[in-house]
Order: sequence, then structure tokens, then C-alpha cells
Amino acid sequence: MIDPDDLALLATSFAAAMSRAPGAAEADDALHDLGWGELLAHAPLQGAAAAFSALGVTGSAACLLDDVAANALGLPVSASACVVLPAPSFSRQPAERRGQSIHIDGLVSARIDRSDRAMVAVSDGSVVEVDAALLRTTDVIALDPQRPFRRLRVDVCERDVVVLARAGSWDTVILRARAAVAHQLVAASRVMLDQATQHAVDRVQFGRPIASFQAVRHRLADALVAIEGASAVTEMCAEDECDPLMATMARSLAGAAARTTAASAQQVLAGIGFTTDHPFHLSLKRTMVLDTLFGSARTLPTEIGNALLAIGGAPRLIEL
Amino acid sequence: MSDAIADDLPSFRRELNSWLDDNEGELRLGHVGHPTLDEDLAQFTHIKRALFDAGWGRHGWPVAVGGLGGSSMLRAVVGEEIATRDLAEPGMWSMIEVLAPTVIAYGSPALIAEMIPPLLRGDETWCQGFSEPNTGSDLASLSCRATAVEGGWSVSGQKVWTSFAQFAERCVLLTRTGEPGSAHRGITALFVDVDSPGITARPIEIQNGTLEFCEVFFDDVFVPNERILGAVGQGWQVAMDVLPYERSTAFWHRGAYLHHRADQLIATVAGIAGADGAAAVDTGQARLLGEAFQAVMAFRCRSRATQHRLAGGGQLGAETSIDKILIATAEQTLFNAARDVLPGVIEFDDDAEAQRLRWEFLYSRAATIYGGTAEIQRNIVARRLLDLGSE
Repeated sequence: MIDPDDLALLATSFAAAMSRAPGAAEADDALHDLGWGELLAHAPLQGAAAAFSALGVTGSAACLLDDVAANALGLPVSASACVVLPAPSFSRQPAERRGQSIHIDGLVSARIDRSDRAMVAVSDGSVVEVDAALLRTTDVIALDPQRPFRRLRVDVCERDVVVLARAGSWDTVILRARAAVAHQLVAASRVMLDQATQHAVDRVQFGRPIASFQAVRHRLADALVAIEGASAVTEMCAEDECDPLMATMARSLAGAAARTTAASAQQVLAGIGFTTDHPFHLSLKRTMVLDTLFGSARTLPTEIGNALLAIGGAPRLIEL
Repeated sequence: MSDAIADDLPSFRRELNSWLDDNEGELRLGHVGHPTLDEDLAQFTHIKRALFDAGWGRHGWPVAVGGLGGSSMLRAVVGEEIATRDLAEPGMWSMIEVLAPTVIAYGSPALIAEMIPPLLRGDETWCQGFSEPNTGSDLASLSCRATAVEGGWSVSGQKVWTSFAQFAERCVLLTRTGEPGSAHRGITALFVDVDSPGITARPIEIQNGTLEFCEVFFDDVFVPNERILGAVGQGWQVAMDVLPYERSTAFWHRGAYLHHRADQLIATVAGIAGADGAAAVDTGQARLLGEAFQAVMAFRCRSRATQHRLAGGGQLGAETSIDKILIATAEQTLFNAARDVLPGVIEFDDDAEAQRLRWEFLYSRAATIYGGTAEIQRNIVARRLLDLGSE
């Protein structure tokens, strides 16, 4: 268990390194130089809390989710480790065997451009290694201009893959990835709220700051409440142990908070927020992309409800 | 938070639960169907006395008022386990958690040594005289008048929304001692015996059929000087200090109650699905349950951090408006879900559980009204937490 103050310091140094890095690849390298890989091995949930909060604050496109997944699967972690992620809003393994081929339907991070091989989890529980060249997609223009993740739909031949030995399970990947992305969404939501709050104070209409209008104030207050609720659950996913249901709720609430905040911030930022002169659009696009990872704010409440019905009640999950 | 408190809590909880298990039969008074207000009060008095006599009800309270000392977290744990076992109606439970700390903070040593033990033991019920017919959200405009007389104060005026006043022995009362229009500066808090001559309490029936709330009329009621809480003119500070107490152990108790009701609702729906086949639960129902439970957990995780901050000696302030909005949202989301996942139960059924859900659904409509409306909370968040300046 890392001391909370030390964890906050780590998040700060991670964020500083990300801000200095000119691109995603450089940020990847900088984080690994700072010991991100060792931190992940030592304290996976706390490490992810520090690094993904930094991703959210800076807007960096560093591909750290690959590392979280690789570590959870018991595979080597490095700045060139590439793990194929589930299809948008899904969380099951991205691949399945179809006769002599393996059908992959998922997302791949920008790491694919600098990796020789990518690791792919298959629905039968195995993990295979695939030549990265087979997974590099032709350049398409996607929503997020930095393209931290790309859509992947491809069939590879059984003979072109190597089955890997590993120690972790896909359920661990889901839990840790959900917690990590929740941290990033919460931090990114705070950035959007800060932008809107600053604008509301600065922008004058009818002879007074628009922050003085209750309609504006209540929209921003609702965003902060959504963020703090999601944040409180997400913080519970930075402890030594985390129940999978808790991580699912953190991810669900963080996705919902990002949607609420984006809508409120967009409305308050109004004209300027609709242009690329203002950085808001980058947060809007990034949080939309993040809310497709390992479920979405739309799909996860149903998953939570079904999990509770299978248990037949509501487990306590937290103690004072 | 000190590690000692955290280390102690699990064993405290274990021992408490083992005692509750051993005494379950004697702790629960019987009633048929959904309890009446009188039955709820009898149960509440019964459990308070049993907890006090066994010592559990004294942990977390100062030794000077009959307690055994220790962190307020111990009280939070007791409240949580009581709520989880449906052993006390949550509104009644919160009355002690809200009023006792306020009186301890502002009453004279002699007053609190005399008055707090009977409250903790369940011998007395107290009420909170804050709101008035023309004073809801704008509490500082209250006009119930206290005029200086020989040896004390004469109180005349009216309060409303005073929970359990018809049963109460004492009342924490906000009065206007300054000039009319002196707003928050001219308010004084008094600790009043409800059997004083000149006090009349008249219950108001609320939409779920309960007579919990009262109008209370004060006609030249004498209150001696030693019953002033704090100083003359300090009443606004007393009232503002009530809020952090409401939002600490009392909120933790209410959150535990909501969690418990979510648990029961899910078990009910799962039972129907088990009997009729999985098709009885559709995706929409699962989603509503998921949304309700994650709303409850968002509040509980937030409140957990608040409890730790308070127990660690921190001051609670405007940030607890977020706790308040989250718990109101959780309560309404939960009972809205109950209405929709059990179609027609609240509207038509008449068994004890249906009566209870009907009672709770209707009561939950007030979660965004009492204790500072949702709009007032958002004003506080905007001004104090987002620094948006004045309106």
C-alpha cells in the first residue's frame, strides 16, 4: 500500500512528464523511464490511479492501458507492449476462434505503430501473439484527432499466431482497466468543468458575468456533484483490493459524469466552446472515446443490475 | 483518521453484530403490517434503551454526558447495523444524531450533563424548531419572537415542519431576539421544555398518511436564561453547526438504510425472476436497479470519506452540500426504480412490503426539499465550491 501523499506526488510527476512529451510515444517512454512499469507490478490499482489521473489532467494520448492489460494478464510490460482491447462498449475478449482463423473485433492503441507484435485475448481464455503488421490499419480519420485508439476488425490465420503462457485472467484485465479509465474520465471531467467555470466568470452578458445567472450556476453545480460522486467510488478502486462490482460502478459513474459535464460545459462555453480555438472540443472527443472502453455509461448500469440480480441482493462492498 | 480507530472498527462491528444476533428476539417489538407512527416510536425507544443499557448506545458520545467516549465512527457503525436490520425508523434515529451534538457543543456543562443521558437512553424525544410558515429556505428571516423578561425570555410565534413535536419533551428552538430584519445576526437558540405553559403542538398529515410533522404554537412561553444555547445572537451559528452533524453519522445511517432497501428490492426482483424464469427481468429493469444501486454507492463512498474527515478532527462545511445532493438523488432514484421494477405494487398492492414501499416512495419526494432544498444546495455548491461569485 503506497502512502496517499506519495501517490499524489507520483501523479504530479507523471503529469509533468506527459506535458513535456511532444507526443504519445514520447510520453510512453517518459513514463516507463519514471518507473511506471515497476509501479504497476508493485501496486497495480494505485499505480493506475496515479498514471490515469495524470492522463486525464494533461489530455496526453500515452497508451498506458496496454500496460495495465499486459500486467493483469501476467505478460511483460514495456513501452512497446501492445494489447488489443475489446470492441467499443464491450468488455469481453476481443477475439474468437472461427475454424482455422481467429476473428478479431476490438480496439488497438497507437502502440501498434511502434510494436513488432500485439497480444490478443481470445474468448476461449487463451492469449495469442500476432505480428503487428497484420493489425496496422490504414489511416482513417476518427473522432479524437490524436487517435489514441483505432477500430480493428480483422481475421488472422491460426498458423500466424503464437499462443502465450500467462498468469492472469481476463476478469482481472476488466477490473483494472475499468478502474484506470474511471480515474482518467474523472480527471478529464474536472478539466472540462474548470474550462466552463472560468468562462462563466469571464464572460459578460447583460452587463454581468454569466456565472451570476442561476441557470448557469446550477448546470455547473450538477456537473461537480456528478464528478464528486464518481470520484468517491473511483477512489475506492485505488485501495489494495477492489471488488469487480466496485470497479464497474466507478467506470459507469465516471462515464456518466463525463457525459453530464461535457453537456453542461458545452452549453456554458456556448459559441467559443463550439470552435477549435478553444480546447474544450479535445476533452469532449477524448471522453467520448474513453466512454467506449470496457463498457459505457449506457451499457454498464444494466450489467451492474444483472450482476446484483445474480447475487440476489446488494453486497455491502464498503466498510467505514 | 488515526489508524487506531480504523483498526478498532472491524472488531467493534463484529462484537456489535454478535450481540445483535444474540438478542434479536428481544430487540424487535412486534407489529402487524407496516408500523404506525406510534409503533415506530415504541420500537425506537425500545432499541435506544437496549443499546444504551448494553453500552453500544454510549460509544462515540463524551463521558461527560453519559457516554463511553471514542470516535463518532463508532456511532456511525451502530447506526449502520441498526438500519441494516430494520430496527429503527431512520428519521427518528437521525433526531438524536443531529440534535445531541449541537446541544453538547453549545449547552452549559450542567445542562448537557442533565439532559443528554435521558435522550441517549431513549427516555426522551427531542425536536428541532427551525422552520416557520413564512421561513422555509430563507431560514435567516425567521420571526418567532423571544423578548427579554425577568430571569429569561418570553417566546411567542409559530414553528412548522417540527418532526415528532407531539411526542417531544425538549425542543431546540431558533428565535428572533434582535430587531425584525436583523436576519442571521439577531437569532438566538433556546433549549425549551415542551411541557412549558403556552406551547401547543398540532400534527400535520403528510402525503403518505403519517403525522410525523407538527405545527407548534408559542404563546408567551417562559424560557430561563440558563437554557440559552451559546450566546444571545449566536443562534445562526448554532443552526449552521447542526448541518455538519446531520451530514455525518445521521447521513451514514440513512445511506445504510437505502443500501438495505436496495438489497431487499433486488432480492424481491430476483425472487420473482427465479419463480417465473429469467424472462421476468428485462434489460430495462436490470438497468433501473443498476442505476439505483450505483447512485446509493456514489453517496455512500462520498459519505465514507466525510465520516473519516470528521473523525480525524476535520471541520465539515460547504462540501457536504454535495453529500446532501447525492443522498437525495440516491433516495429518489431507488424508490423511482422500485415503482418501475415492481409494476403496480406501490399503486395497488396492500401487503406490508407494498405499504412500506408506498410510504417510502411518497416520503422520498421530500428528499430534495427538507434540510435545505436541492436548489439551495446547488447555490451553495456554485458559490462556495465553484467560486462563481454572487448571483
